[in-house]
Amino acid sequence: MANFKIPIGPQHPALKEPESFTITLNGETIIEMDMRLGYNHRGIEKACEERSYIQAMYLVERVCGICSHSHSTCFIQAVEEIAGLAIPARAQYIRTIIAELERIHSHLLWLGVAGHEIGFDTLLMYSWRDREVVMDTLAALTGNRVNYGINTIGGVRRDISKEHLAGLLKTMDILEERTKYYIEVASEEITLIQRLSGVGFISHEDTVMLGAVGPTARASGVDRDIRRDDPYLAYKDIEFQVITDTHNDVYGRTLVRVGELMQCYSMIRQLVAKIPEGPVTVKAPRKIPAGEAFSRYEAPRGEDVHYVKANGTDKAERVKIRAPTLANLQSVARMMENNRLADVPIIIAAIDPCFSCTDRMIRINDTAGRRKETISWQALRTHSLEWYRKQGVDFKDLNAKMRQRMKA
Amino acid sequence: MTNEEKIKKELLERFGFSTEQIRVARERRVFLEVPHEQFRRVFEHAVNGMDFQHLCTITGLDDGDTLAFVYHLARLDGAVLSLKTRVPKASPVLRTISDLFPGGMIYERELADLLGARVEGLPEGNRYPLPEGWPDGQHPLRKDWKAEMLDGVYPKEEVKSHG
Amino acid sequence: MAWSLFNLLIFPGFLFLFVFGLAMEFVDRKLYARLQNRIGPPWFQPFADFVKLAAKEDIIPEEADSVMFRLMPAFALASVVTAFFYIPLWSTQSLFSFNGDLIVVIYLLTIPTLTFFLAGWHSTSLFSMIGATRTLTQLFAYEVPLFMAILAPALLAGTWSLSEMTVFYDQHPAYAAFNIIGLIVSLIALQGKLERVPFDIPEAETEIVGGTFTEYSGRFLAMFRIAIDIEAVVGASLIAAVFLPFGLGLGAAWGFVFYLVKVLAVIALLALLRTVLARLRIEQMVIFCWRIVAPAALFQLLINLILSGVLRP
Repeated sequence: MANFKIPIGPQHPALKEPESFTITLNGETIIEMDMRLGYNHRGIEKACEERSYIQAMYLVERVCGICSHSHSTCFIQAVEEIAGLAIPARAQYIRTIIAELERIHSHLLWLGVAGHEIGFDTLLMYSWRDREVVMDTLAALTGNRVNYGINTIGGVRRDISKEHLAGLLKTMDILEERTKYYIEVASEEITLIQRLSGVGFISHEDTVMLGAVGPTARASGVDRDIRRDDPYLAYKDIEFQVITDTHNDVYGRTLVRVGELMQCYSMIRQLVAKIPEGPVTVKAPRKIPAGEAFSRYEAPRGEDVHYVKANGTDKAERVKIRAPTLANLQSVARMMENNRLADVPIIIAAIDPCFSCTDRMIRINDTAGRRKETISWQALRTHSLEWYRKQGVDFKDLNAKMRQRMKA
Repeated sequence: MTNEEKIKKELLERFGFSTEQIRVARERRVFLEVPHEQFRRVFEHAVNGMDFQHLCTITGLDDGDTLAFVYHLARLDGAVLSLKTRVPKASPVLRTISDLFPGGMIYERELADLLGARVEGLPEGNRYPLPEGWPDGQHPLRKDWKAEMLDGVYPKEEVKSHG
Repeated sequence: MAWSLFNLLIFPGFLFLFVFGLAMEFVDRKLYARLQNRIGPPWFQPFADFVKLAAKEDIIPEEADSVMFRLMPAFALASVVTAFFYIPLWSTQSLFSFNGDLIVVIYLLTIPTLTFFLAGWHSTSLFSMIGATRTLTQLFAYEVPLFMAILAPALLAGTWSLSEMTVFYDQHPAYAAFNIIGLIVSLIALQGKLERVPFDIPEAETEIVGGTFTEYSGRFLAMFRIAIDIEAVVGASLIAAVFLPFGLGLGAAWGFVFYLVKVLAVIALLALLRTVLARLRIEQMVIFCWRIVAPAALFQLLINLILSGVLRP
């Protein structure tokens, strides 16, 4: 059979975000892969230059929907370093707790997606059900399920109460039990192991050479974890193991992530036990003195780096973001070699790609000459209520009915 | 002597930099500015001689008349060396480092697209991150670039007819 | 004449199969959902899906072979409905019967798979063509074991007619126990025939979008969907008739209840199978079928060959 090319993306059921992989196949075997990125660029780096630091922080938090805390923490770490702010210890601990909860949420999400990519939807349903527990906890602690908005320059915006901390420990017990079950599944379920082991192989040397980070690198025996090597937040106060694996394949990447989940639970228990009393924020200046800082952070997907250059005003001179997926994507082409078409989705998924993290830059406004109009929030609301009334749906009525129901 | 001071000392002794060029910002963070002619030699020494085997990323800066490029190199012990070098904005030519870091190609493509750097020796490949058909000479991360500069140039009319 | 028409169109023909197929799809989906900790669809969901699809626009790709593209869903539907008439359901007598109908039924059940292949191939879309190739590859892997597994009980009964087979096993119910390997093999093969996890390789959505059915929409897709639903029922009925010949002599009412229980049991087993397994790769599937399933079927054939010499001198 002659070689032919098959497009995976920009729109494809296996990818939850638009990126384009063109795969040259011989029968079912992959010959080579070509990658085209950039469909998701939103101009965040440029936009940060036109916003005050606190505005930029919220924008950076929206770089990614899953590792939002990673990006905002990494960014303000750099800003705080330039401003010379010392963050209260309690705030450091709270940031660390949220960071680890985020890792749990992200890894459980990944486990489900991985299951879905290999046609094992039961795993998706199970792990996403358990992920809800973390999401609820995050909502209870920060007020949001994603984009937690707990960070602020100089500390955190909310304290965590004693009751919440106690609840957190209970959540950890539930999740630990569930994760043990997944470890059992991962080590016993035959079709799962058949679909994962030996797939997406990348040698230790290639992993180092191509600069992979995070669980992707650690599954190829690269013993590198920013939390241990370049400690930030409260990581130097707690004990944890860096999980590595030498399977060098998708199965190894699964084991690393599940292993990291177990570490997360123990870390959160230590954090809850050790969290000091005290204030959660210090006053931050509006204008940040000139200077530059480089900040690293171990996001769930790997090393996230931010570089911030300040020029003495209340706006940053330059913000550079490198999300972990961009570093990991380079190794995907190598992982694809000599695999089969059926393995493409799981290989791509195994680096836990987050393309919206990776792409950040493009046009800010629509210039195609379409009608542009600014509608205030209130006007938009009135407009929508009016629109529905014309369609025969009256929300005023509905609200009244709802209230009656609630009373009854 | 701390790690950072060791790095500083080695670089000072080997290349004869002045102490203003090199700055230890904090624990594990060293910033160094190198003239462009010397850059490759210092970079190679940092990678091969000082064990900075991981390229975190390359940051491009628009400093008015010059473009500055910061190569963030990391070591397993957590130390990060940020090597900065400058080229004139009029002829922003760089030599690729993709021979040492194949994974760094994508960062160089980003510099080429967003800041208009010309990277010599960079293998052919898809552009990143701007789309095909993006007008030549427009580099969004340059300070003088405004979104209005795209009016009437991009997106082109034929793109719309697809919708 | 009128009675035959009634049989063909209403009971136990098309209308009955249509309703029964949708009901079994509901059972399958509900069980699958409950096993996954989900609530699952309401009882009318498969029917609602069918109506919705049938009401949608039919889109035929310009590149596609329009005649084949339209014909294939009808072929698939017709062949599965026809197969049903030769299977004894709640008594030892099927609607139509002749010596050798067993072979015909198996062939009629192969036709839908072939139509999937042709439909995918004539869609000319890249994803459909890969799906079509996989359909055919998979067919060769499970079809032979299925043949052997179903022929083995016939060998023991000494007849090629399904009705006579059920008569034989109705007289000697204990003999059904000898066919247990064949039962397992044909359950696996049926799962492959229906292209469900772990054998949903031809339509693996995360790999090749929708596989053979990528380009299908509207009524044609609805027809394929209902053909697959009916195929599930027919396949389950065939397995019930060949391997589970119990309660056939109890009259129509009890016979029908027994029949329902048997089909439900088969459907439930298939739903369980797709809950606990991940999708295999095509080459893993082929290897699995030839290394494990086919030898097992062969073994069953051997057992029955010896048994028929011993038990039926």
